Amino acid sequence: MSALVARISVERASKRFSSGSVTVFEELDLAVRDREALCILGPSGCGKTTLLRSMHGLVPLDAGRIVIDGAEVRAPRRNVAMVFQHFGLMPWKRVRENVAYGLELAGLPKATVDERVERYIELVGLRGFERSYPNQLSGGMQQRAGLARALAVEPDILLMDEPFGSLDALTREILQDELLRIYQLAPRTMVFITHSIEEAIAMGDRILVLSARPARVRELLQVDIPRPRTVAGVIAHPRFIPLRDHCWRLLRERAA
Amino acid sequence: MTLHQVGVEVDESRAAAPRTSRWRRLRPGDWAVRLGAIAVILGVWELFGPTLNKLILRPPSDIVRAFFELIANGELQDAMSQSFRELFGGLGVALVLGLVIGIASGRWRFVYNAIDPLVSALYSVPSVALVPLIAVAFKSIGDPPRIATVALFAIFPILINTQQGVRNVDRQLLEVARSFHTSERRLWTDVIIPSATPYVLAGVRLAIGRGLIGMIVAEFFIGLVGLGYLIIAYENVFRIDRMFVPVIVVATMGILMMGLVQWLEGRIAPWLKKEQ
Ligand SMILES: Nc1ncnc2c1ncn2[C@@H]1O[C@H](COP(=O)(O)OP(=O)(O)O)[C@@H](O)[C@H]1O
Ligand SMILES: [Mg+2]
Repeated sequence: MSALVARISVERASKRFSSGSVTVFEELDLAVRDREALCILGPSGCGKTTLLRSMHGLVPLDAGRIVIDGAEVRAPRRNVAMVFQHFGLMPWKRVRENVAYGLELAGLPKATVDERVERYIELVGLRGFERSYPNQLSGGMQQRAGLARALAVEPDILLMDEPFGSLDALTREILQDELLRIYQLAPRTMVFITHSIEEAIAMGDRILVLSARPARVRELLQVDIPRPRTVAGVIAHPRFIPLRDHCWRLLRERAA
Repeated sequence: MTLHQVGVEVDESRAAAPRTSRWRRLRPGDWAVRLGAIAVILGVWELFGPTLNKLILRPPSDIVRAFFELIANGELQDAMSQSFRELFGGLGVALVLGLVIGIASGRWRFVYNAIDPLVSALYSVPSVALVPLIAVAFKSIGDPPRIATVALFAIFPILINTQQGVRNVDRQLLEVARSFHTSERRLWTDVIIPSATPYVLAGVRLAIGRGLIGMIVAEFFIGLVGLGYLIIAYENVFRIDRMFVPVIVVATMGILMMGLVQWLEGRIAPWLKKEQ
């Protein structure tokens, strides 16, 4: 029942960047249900990052509103955490300090910070790298740290902006499997942005397909592939090929 | 020259920060080449210099002897304590003012607009041209105007680098900080100051070189004291061997201080050297 309650609702949201008079999206409506993983799939440059940043209150809308838990979003909220495409690690902080960052800012007692940092570093498989600087790590390891930093604040809502978009195919699949495993341990509301159809199908309970700019909702698809999932299992599932072809057609129609 | 153009230069010096860090760890082979080159130059100078120009190219062995003479009669120590008082005073003033003005103008548009014309103007004028004015302004030929001269020479690299360091903070990291609900104070300590640190240290390295020039210029123009005085005095009596002693002291001082800053950079900004 509670699964159908909207956790995040985007209501007739419009966003323009005046520099270059780019309309990113216009009168966009969508809802993210409690504890679902909603994938937002769209071509590069269609405005996915901008949409996610506005859901987090990092950029103001020009019209419409975004509501989380009944309150309009104006600034980042404590129960929402974001994972960035560019990782967003502080080069001058060691892995440990990067993971502790959100916890320290939340003003948690040191014992809690230490305990959580250790737990989430373990969870994302970064044990042994606590004292490394980000530039000593591979991209995959850096994003593990970015993921741990977001998970460590134990947010109700996770906003993921193409978190694995800049990783090589092998690393990407490994991290997708890790995220599926972590998600299985503690399902929470997740908005996962991607331009990869396979990734959208693997990660999402539903997929929102966006058109090229200005972004419009092309279609909202249900992914009827049971959890727990692995990427290989999803690709082997009979529902996968039809879903992929459907997404392909939706994305291509507009691009042509 | 507008500050913007200056900023382009400063960006190069910023680019120099990580680049030098790659070279910071000299391998034993590097040292062999460096010391070998110095030995060859000194050897050639010693053997052939006097045959070229007996008066000016005094052999290094004469300069070494002059060095000990100037220490024995106490002149060198006196001059050094005089000069270094000016140097450290001036660099200290430049560091404090440069950091404060650089940070404020890097962060707040109002301060930037208020100081930019003045900074651009002062930076464009050859600092040497202002030295006589400084003496007049202080109505003195004592230490204060000389310290002010060193500060004038040294402040701009620090100020402008600090300003650019603060302005060039990675916007994405600012957004990450906002995303995790940073306070203004934590924004400084977590993001702005660490990201400006390599710029500031590159500025300090440049400031040391300019400060040493300022020190000698001040001693030439204002009161004739310290190492500057030794240079002039022994040049006038054609004791070129002795004249070289303060010159070499100044050069050594520059090398040592810049080395110290690089060492400090490894201490303060250890993430930069782990780049390999
Ligand atoms: N801060 C900004 N200022 C001006 N234009 C921007 C800004 N951010 C994004 N844009 C433009 O908005 C469009 C959508 O960008 P973005 O949301 O990053 O797309 P996506 O994440 O889907 O690739 C692009 O055309 C981009 O150039
Ligand atoms: Mg994007």
